[in-house]
Amino acid sequence: MNYEMICLRDKIGEFLCELAKEDDRIYVIDSDLAKSTKTLEFQKKYPERFVETGIAEASAMSIAAGLASEGQIPFYVNFAIFVAGTAWTQLRQAAYANLNVKMIGTYSGMDNGKDGASHHANEDLALVRSIPNVKVLVPSNVKEMKEAMKIAIAYNGPVYIRVARDIVPNVEFKTDSKIGEAKIVEDCGNDFAIIYEGTSAKVAYESFDKLKEKGYNGKLINIFSVKPIDVNLINMISDTVKIIVTVENHSVIGGLGGAIAEILAKKSNHAPVAFVGVEDVFTESGTPTEVKEKYGLSVDNIIKKII
Amino acid sequence: MILIMDDIKQLKILANENRKKVIRMIHSANAGHAGGALSVIDILTAIYELDVDLNSEKRSKVVLSKGHAVAAQYAILCSKGIIKEEELDTFRKVNSRLQGHPSTITIPEVDATTGLLGQGLSVAVGIALAKRNLKDKNHVYAIVGDGEMQEGQIWESLLQAAHYKLNNLILIIDYNKLSSYDNVNESMNLEPLNEKIKAFNFHTIEIDGNNMAQIVDALKEAYEPKDKPTAIICNTIKGKGVSFMENNPKWHSGGISDEEYEIAKKDLEKIEEELAK
Repeated sequence: MNYEMICLRDKIGEFLCELAKEDDRIYVIDSDLAKSTKTLEFQKKYPERFVETGIAEASAMSIAAGLASEGQIPFYVNFAIFVAGTAWTQLRQAAYANLNVKMIGTYSGMDNGKDGASHHANEDLALVRSIPNVKVLVPSNVKEMKEAMKIAIAYNGPVYIRVARDIVPNVEFKTDSKIGEAKIVEDCGNDFAIIYEGTSAKVAYESFDKLKEKGYNGKLINIFSVKPIDVNLINMISDTVKIIVTVENHSVIGGLGGAIAEILAKKSNHAPVAFVGVEDVFTESGTPTEVKEKYGLSVDNIIKKII
Repeated sequence: MILIMDDIKQLKILANENRKKVIRMIHSANAGHAGGALSVIDILTAIYELDVDLNSEKRSKVVLSKGHAVAAQYAILCSKGIIKEEELDTFRKVNSRLQGHPSTITIPEVDATTGLLGQGLSVAVGIALAKRNLKDKNHVYAIVGDGEMQEGQIWESLLQAAHYKLNNLILIIDYNKLSSYDNVNESMNLEPLNEKIKAFNFHTIEIDGNNMAQIVDALKEAYEPKDKPTAIICNTIKGKGVSFMENNPKWHSGGISDEEYEIAKKDLEKIEEELAK
């Protein structure tokens, strides 16, 4: 496959500005990281709808809840570890009330390589998808990212959008992405299925191409909507392919692999499932590529599960 | 602004009626937080009577951050017809709208889903910011407990409320001096509380929070134009109005026996008779 690499994080501010132009209910909440999350642009354009909380993530999430209860649409944009981790009970209360809050968690998984294990969000999917009412979207390219934001605005309730800080292949899908729907990106046969979440798209694509070169023909499946997840497609795939490999920039516990396993455990017969992600350990500092490689999110590791 | 009702004697009578409902609910549920509901109910009654028009779409909002005192809020919403009298006996029971802590899913009029301490003042900051941008002149109240003031998030939101000069936000601190443990200042000292909140750039007012005349004066002072949020520190008595509960840490939470219920009812009837004189 031919594609250019792109950083989705760079588009957060730009897209929020565009959407806020059409909808004056949209707010951005920031906790001193607007420079990193690229929401500074929103602050300049819409200062009244930009709420700086200082370094106070718990309160920021509850402020979003308050804005939503007055009919506004707040986007709390921060590193995934803070949105999903530091402010977890605040997010849970907002979800309990089914408030119209939106969360963008960027620097997800090991994307914040050099900051080290403290800042790696390898548990955010597990944390957010276990909360009732919360919808979880992971865009894998620029088009999907804008679609995720539009879906979040159109949907009345809490939505968590996981946005990669590391580069991803910008392969635009022909059809629009929808909540609850997965996409078969490539379908070359039934030797395997690689099922990935957007922030790990790079290794998923590279593995798929390498396997093809080696004569293994399989399917490449993008999970845009982690919750609700496309149960029908996953069930169907599990009847036809020889092996399923889940690929995630996340712990293998409770994330995408966990979600797939929860579906397939209900069936008596299905393809075996192998999980690629971080194996229940804390990581370390390094470039995102180095850290991902060392902790299992690598092309070699994916291929090893299949060949 | 127009005050809906500020007759001191009427407010006292209403607060006493609400107290009766609180003990009825907790007796029926055989569980609940009587002490903190009874300490806060005077100012809570006054806020709803003075400033909360439940029939209006744009109105002042009340975030009961000390959500365990929810029986007080249900009693008031019952007096307003939002909750039916017989529904009070379903409190904390399965299939009831009357959850153990406020939930907007079952009763939207509670205004905020609370219960996890420390979060309500931040929610009120969000509401106040939205109201200011939407040119809605109403207020938002955050009702917090003294024990709750030990939560870190409270101090985050104190900074934020003052930073944004939220003059439409009124913080009510129910300072009954007792938390679940016992003496709140022995578990973790809050003093000097008034000075601390003043230093955070709040306008502070300190009153006897079970004295209706002082409550009404304090609320009117809070409504006056200013460029900062207001905090009303209410020195209250935990379990106020029920003889065996007053200042007794045992009544932070727990059921009320049939025998205790009879004594409590008599205590409140006595207050009612005195108010009728």
